[in-house]
Amino acid sequence: MALQSLTGAVSPTTLPAGDGFGGAMAGWRLQRLAFGLAVGGAYALILAPVLAVMLISLFAQEIVSFPPDGFTLAWYGNAWDRREFARGFATSLQLALIAAAIGVPLGTAAALALDRSFRGRWQALGGALNTLLLGPLAVPGLVAGTALYIFYVRAEFWVDDDIKGTLPGLVAAHVLLTIPWTVRMVLASLAGLDRAPEEAAANLGARPFTVFRRVTLPMLRPGVVAASLFSFIQSFENLELTLLLVGPGRTTLPVAMLNYLEFRIDPTLAAVATVQILLVGALMLVTDRFVSLSRVV
Amino acid sequence: MAALVLPATLLVLGLLVAPMAILFRISLDRYSPTELVQEALTGENYLRAIADPYYREVLGTTLGIALLCTLLALLIAFPAAWWLARLEGRRRSLAVILTLFPLLVGNVVRAAGWMALLGRDGAINAALRGLGLIREPLGLLYTPGAVVAGIVAVVAPYMILTLATVIEAIPRNLEEAAANLGASPAAAFRRVVLPMALPGIAAGCVLVFILCMNAYATPVLLGGPQFKMMAPAVFDQFVRGTNWPFGAALAFILLLVTLALTLAGSAALSRRTAPR
Repeated sequence: MALQSLTGAVSPTTLPAGDGFGGAMAGWRLQRLAFGLAVGGAYALILAPVLAVMLISLFAQEIVSFPPDGFTLAWYGNAWDRREFARGFATSLQLALIAAAIGVPLGTAAALALDRSFRGRWQALGGALNTLLLGPLAVPGLVAGTALYIFYVRAEFWVDDDIKGTLPGLVAAHVLLTIPWTVRMVLASLAGLDRAPEEAAANLGARPFTVFRRVTLPMLRPGVVAASLFSFIQSFENLELTLLLVGPGRTTLPVAMLNYLEFRIDPTLAAVATVQILLVGALMLVTDRFVSLSRVV
Repeated sequence: MAALVLPATLLVLGLLVAPMAILFRISLDRYSPTELVQEALTGENYLRAIADPYYREVLGTTLGIALLCTLLALLIAFPAAWWLARLEGRRRSLAVILTLFPLLVGNVVRAAGWMALLGRDGAINAALRGLGLIREPLGLLYTPGAVVAGIVAVVAPYMILTLATVIEAIPRNLEEAAANLGASPAAAFRRVVLPMALPGIAAGCVLVFILCMNAYATPVLLGGPQFKMMAPAVFDQFVRGTNWPFGAALAFILLLVTLALTLAGSAALSRRTAPR
């Protein structure tokens, strides 16, 4: 295994006796090379499709083929002119914003309660509630979407109005996506929280709500910002949960892209996908300025 | 304070637990061409799904692909996770962003990328032809191999991030100690690092296996019309067919098979990690 070589922990002098010094060095270099190739290969595999999409969105010819005949930005205009993509983008944006605006406060409140209450004999209940709130992560999107689809169809019968294919119907489903991420991330930041400033504020006469607003919340900011970003992105790119809940004239961007891709891949679709890639990338970089992403995932 | 947990809890109960209960109830109903769902209490939808050779094959394909992809993802992700876990500061942030980025971009976008890479005139065929290795383009797209590549690429970031968290917690001086005591790097890895990383391997495999079992966009877009996995089969029952009870039974079979294998797998791994 070449893995240890990276740590640099094994200096040549500590290598087992009997290994010629020169031979050990050569073997070491080989291990390091193999390790580098393995890491590079893994990242090539996960990044290649993303880079390929961005590249072909610039190709001049309409039928995707390599090498390109030339480069153009015309497909971006073409994509915007296609109603399904422009409206899909607007729907997804609206949906992700509303879902995050509802889900993040609810999830943060729940995380606070789980962290602060449910001590002692209530601990088991807290654990069960925590599992329940992470449930939307555990139930596969398509199965949950199927269940919601039937639920909506049945509920439409009672309320005598459309739910499936409406914005409220989609928002309700997507709030479900935002809760587990928020609970997880806010709980993680609460776990590392120093309680002394809150106690100090309380001792100095601050009321509980003031302590929360002026002390607790600012300390939780990294977790809440990260949760908002994740919630937004989870909602924006979701396909499986959404698939059965969209309706005529109200389709999200990923569903619109999927429907298009079942027939063909072309630079117009790639342009739409690139817009999504750039949006997600920009949001990640912004969030990383607030809170180092390597601390929250 | 405890009441703050209520809104989110009620939401999950109302929009996940209750719908899932209704879905389960419907899986025990009977299909009727006139009223769609006829109330009953029968296991015949489950029996039909298990007895039908078509759905047995779909389930078999799904299991095979999911197991293969989980194993491949583990092998591919381990070196990358190691690399990530031993980075520090700004370089570490950048590596995390690089890992997270394809994951957050979404499955549909990445499937589109694979279509561009694997198609008849795609990048891979063009490169092979340019090198003079092939004359006729290879049929890479719409094959099980394309689905495997696509799913592995989708789940590998999850595996990398899960493994990195655990590897990070393994003190580096343990490896030094093993080396000083005369262990070769391979032995140190096998006897010291691997046992300590096992909980992470278990967690990563469970997460990734669930994602593989339920893959939708990748098999639909990269597998072609003949290739069927369970999640697309469930979808078809509700959109192209109207047999809700049978579709509901398929959904629960998928859920239960995934759950059973996940539990069996974690039990086997935790036995291995238990002190001997």
